[in-house]
Amino acid sequence: MTSPLSSLALFHVGPVPITAAVIVTWALMAILTLGSVLVTRRLTLVPSRTQAAFELIVDTVDGQIRDTMQMEPGPYRAFVGTLFVFIFVANWSSLVPGVGPPTAKLETDAALALLVFVAVIWFGIRAGGVLGYLATFASPNPIMIPLNFIESLTRTFSLLVRLFGNVMSGVFVIGIVLSLAGFLVPIPLMALDLLTGAVQAYIFAILAMVFIAGAVSDGKPARAIPDLSNPRTTS
Amino acid sequence: MTFDWWTLGFQTVNVAVLVWLLQRFFWKPVSAMIQQRRSTVQGQLDDAAAKRKEATEALAGIAATRAGFAKEGEAIRTAAHAAAAKDSTAQREQASKAAAVLEATARAAIETDRSTAEAAASRRASDLAVDIAKHLAARLDGAAVQAAFLDWLVKAIGAMPEAARRLAGAEGATLEAVSATPIAAADQARYDAAIGQAFGSRPQITYRADPSLIAGLELRGANLAVSNSWRADLAQVLADLKR
Repeated sequence: MTSPLSSLALFHVGPVPITAAVIVTWALMAILTLGSVLVTRRLTLVPSRTQAAFELIVDTVDGQIRDTMQMEPGPYRAFVGTLFVFIFVANWSSLVPGVGPPTAKLETDAALALLVFVAVIWFGIRAGGVLGYLATFASPNPIMIPLNFIESLTRTFSLLVRLFGNVMSGVFVIGIVLSLAGFLVPIPLMALDLLTGAVQAYIFAILAMVFIAGAVSDGKPARAIPDLSNPRTTS
Repeated sequence: MTFDWWTLGFQTVNVAVLVWLLQRFFWKPVSAMIQQRRSTVQGQLDDAAAKRKEATEALAGIAATRAGFAKEGEAIRTAAHAAAAKDSTAQREQASKAAAVLEATARAAIETDRSTAEAAASRRASDLAVDIAKHLAARLDGAAVQAAFLDWLVKAIGAMPEAARRLAGAEGATLEAVSATPIAAADQARYDAAIGQAFGSRPQITYRADPSLIAGLELRGANLAVSNSWRADLAQVLADLKR
């Protein structure tokens, strides 16, 4: 049994090591992209069951963004939704025999946390400009600037550690139990690991929304978001 | 524990690319379809609301038209009632006039019948009186009757105004004595003398018999007419009865 804390290269392309997490991520990317193309190839106004299910996903993501960020979901839907979908699918990829979830590797979680860190800066600058974004560090008081700066780093690190710890520990425990008890014993733990994976995907996406919303709307009054979940009706 | 920076870079790029791919092939098309459906549904709802509004207005128009029909019907009924009342009044007036005309005609007819009946009754009464008078005259002594009538004639002549008597009985005047029965020639001289004495002259007197007198002696001339007979009396009685 290899340590889950280490990333072993499957092969090298020149000096570049290609790990299993990267290979699985590419596979997941291919599957998600191909599935998206297949799903959106024939979208109709009267949806099929499959289309309705995927529209429900999009609508749910939009609803979460509205509820959490108090903003229109358009600019953030792709980033937040893709984070949730990728982490969810990556966590559940452990269902496939012989496949380890990429999120159980520190590099993948660090990449996700790094993207969130960059996205917070990107959306913050786009919303209020560089000075506006920097001004958010002075909220609620300029004295808080050092703490806010440290917080922007530590919360990113917490994202990394939270996701890595939960997923890695699940894989680690299952590996230990499997090596000690045998074939069918880890199944309840695997089911629990699936639940943990889904919850961690949700938590990661929610926290990403909270961080972005803090950078976008900090110091500004919250905007009233019209409820677009229901069609406007006229009497 | 190891940390592979190449893997970090790969995974960062991988997730960033995945964000772009899913934005391109999943989030954008699906959300666009949701928005399109919402727009379509909203448009249909707006159309439905507009059509419902049109239907409501159409119903209001129909209700107004129905109200107009009711009002028009009421006006027609009122006009019909008024026309019927007018016609009824006109017919009553016409019937009243016709009844008045009929009443007047009936009254005239009744009056005519009554007059005719009265005339017939008078005629029958006259005939009856004549018959009675004839029967009475037949039962009386002719000479005495003639003497009485001669006496009444003389008195009538004597009662005439002097001037009229002189004019009627002037010398040479021709008078006609009419009696119901012929006066015998022997008596005519006596009659001439009595009449002449009444006139105080000697007029020329001719005698003629007229049975229609029933009984009596009348004297007629150019300026004289003395009605001295039962026929004249009966005529006078009839005239008095008709008054």
